[in-house]
Amino acid sequence: MKNESTVVERIVTTTESATLSRYWMVSALIGLLFSSVAGLLVSLERIDLSTASIFSTADDVFQFWTAHRVALVLIAVLPLMIGLATAIVPRQVGASRLVFPRMSAFSFWVWLFGALIIIIGFLANGGVGTPEATSETQSVALTLVGVLLAIIGICGASTSVLTTIVAGRAPGISLLNIPAFSWSVLVAGTMWLATLPVLVANTVLVYVDMRGRAPVNFGSEAVVWEQLSWAFTHPQVYLWVLPLLGIVAEIISAAFKNKISNPFLFTAIGLTAAAGFGAYAQTYFDIGTPVFEEAFSIIQAFIAIPAVLLVVAFISPKIKDLKGFDKQTTTPAVLATLSIVLLLHGVVVGAVHVIGPLELATRSTVSAQIVLTLGAGVLACMAAFSWWGELLIGKSISQRKILISGLTFHFGVGIFAVADFLVGFTGQNDFTGVSEFAAGTDGSSWVETLNVISFIGSLLILLGVIAAIATTVQHVLSKTPATGNPWGVDAPEWKSKEKEEVA
Amino acid sequence: MLTTGFKLWFGLLIAAFTAAVFVGYTTGGTETGPLTLGWKGAVGNHIAYGILIMAATTSGLLAILSQSFRDADAEAAAEILEVDIDEVPEAQISTGSSPWPLFTALGVVTMAVGLVAHPFVFGTGLIISLVIAIEWTMTNWSERATGDPEKNRELKEGLLRPIEIPVLGLVGIGVIVVAVSRVLLAASVLGAVWIATVAGTIIFLTAYFISKRPSIPRGVVQSILAAGFIVVIVSGIFAAINGERDFHHVGGEHGEHGDSHMEEDH
Repeated sequence: MKNESTVVERIVTTTESATLSRYWMVSALIGLLFSSVAGLLVSLERIDLSTASIFSTADDVFQFWTAHRVALVLIAVLPLMIGLATAIVPRQVGASRLVFPRMSAFSFWVWLFGALIIIIGFLANGGVGTPEATSETQSVALTLVGVLLAIIGICGASTSVLTTIVAGRAPGISLLNIPAFSWSVLVAGTMWLATLPVLVANTVLVYVDMRGRAPVNFGSEAVVWEQLSWAFTHPQVYLWVLPLLGIVAEIISAAFKNKISNPFLFTAIGLTAAAGFGAYAQTYFDIGTPVFEEAFSIIQAFIAIPAVLLVVAFISPKIKDLKGFDKQTTTPAVLATLSIVLLLHGVVVGAVHVIGPLELATRSTVSAQIVLTLGAGVLACMAAFSWWGELLIGKSISQRKILISGLTFHFGVGIFAVADFLVGFTGQNDFTGVSEFAAGTDGSSWVETLNVISFIGSLLILLGVIAAIATTVQHVLSKTPATGNPWGVDAPEWKSKEKEEVA
Repeated sequence: MLTTGFKLWFGLLIAAFTAAVFVGYTTGGTETGPLTLGWKGAVGNHIAYGILIMAATTSGLLAILSQSFRDADAEAAAEILEVDIDEVPEAQISTGSSPWPLFTALGVVTMAVGLVAHPFVFGTGLIISLVIAIEWTMTNWSERATGDPEKNRELKEGLLRPIEIPVLGLVGIGVIVVAVSRVLLAASVLGAVWIATVAGTIIFLTAYFISKRPSIPRGVVQSILAAGFIVVIVSGIFAAINGERDFHHVGGEHGEHGDSHMEEDH
């Protein structure tokens, strides 16, 4: 009886980490597509700020603008990271499987339903409210419920991965000896578990106020986004992409056959995590105290310290050792390097935008910082797919196609970010806290030109995502078997073989 | 030796207690209040502090239980099995496929959507979640009952099948009856006759087709049944939304002619 399960039964009942990992990543790519389309539409609208091109009101634009950010974090980047960790971490720490496989499966399904509800909520004129409160209250409530479910799923999956690292390691592997990716997941997951419940509290606060009676303070549709926005902006976005540091360290180390010092790297990852903690930076509760402003600025400056440490860790040992570069690893190495470059640009833009006299704190510069940072996370996942793809899907991987997808996406992020960074100096607002899209804009030709460039960047991002999805689907359907250890590296994940699932 | 379970629960204890102390100090607690559980001073926000201390206490009790019963302790397993410690089975037993994660997620999601949509939906989700909690608990118990997976499965089925089959049968029949009745009541009189005739014929032919091909894969039969069930449910929902057809009572007001059940359909 036990081997007679049908395809559908196997799909919905699996608790195998490799399969769950594929579910997470494929679903996340679809979420990334949704987010990219929303971002593209907003960019298209922004080309001509004087008239409504595709949206009829500023509230409509706001819906898609927030959909882009919420989906990018909760439906794309975080699930991508969790998908990678679900498959790779047990292998790296010598565990036969995740310690809570059924909780991992439950977490995925809850997240998936939550993600679908979020998308439905946005499409049903709900989302996270609108500045003029023209959205449907019922749909806003539905979106908030979706956000809660997605967070429950992410927290459950993170708990399973973290417990595997802490309690499921093979004998003889200490925490300080685990591979860099597992360490970065340990630090990132811990910080996710420390901050996502705060977002849950914000969401519940808004929901209860909105549903329990006439909204009096937090639950008005006009201020919902202000309650939640801290999770989708600077500095919290650094936490969402933290595992990219581990991915880059693993790939660069193997490409140059020169291991990065663990204590140095681990400290840098820890410091980045500490500086990225953003649950305190809630504008809604900012009562204008100088302490808050100064603390915020100091912490944003502080994030430059681990960034410098990372540059030293990643690049300095390699410059003198370029001859040792393994050309076979070109694709993952290029994508990994580009992702850390994007992250460093994000850090720089983040530090610049809090400089008071520049008055960039509420300008488009914020958007540039977010896209640079989260884009770095997505690009790192592409690098990881290139590096661990055979482990993830058990098929041979075409490196060239992944490289093309990654480069397209990278150029898209770069072009978008440069344009948005510069247009911030002209006074164009990021959307937070304003009701008019073009408020404060000087309306010069420079603005329009930069917005056209920004749109081109969005278009390239979307093309990169579509190419990545097509490549992934092609690999999943491919019949070419995996070659084993394509890089010939001496890493635990390539040595271990997960035990077959007992049906 | 500290067991894995102990480490996990003890870690949670520390985390919850630290969080409680942090909450206490940041919500008006005195210097010693949060550290002494309120014995020497105020603890700040009572609700938040109380919840976190309860979490810490529960984690501590589970840690002690886990250590006391030597959960996942290879030496303990060796003593019971009377074998050498190297021959002890893995502490982590293989966890097979399970439908409960998906069904639990469906229950939780139904509850969540019910919060927004309607109390009936919330109640349905709650019932689903409770039923699955029992099923999942029994599954976990049975998987550890003996060392033989087949025997474990029989044990579980022996306990649960006498309850599951009648209950599921009743629920399934109830749902189908309600859905079909909505469809027939929404259609015109002639339409209802046609729907009943066509549906009955399709069911008869499908059953005949399946009975004539015993080798047909189980998945195909399941898919046909699932598709039919979904069609009935969706039709019932749409019919319920559209409402029943107009009924005109023969003879005006109810009971005017002593026959309140006489109706004429249009």
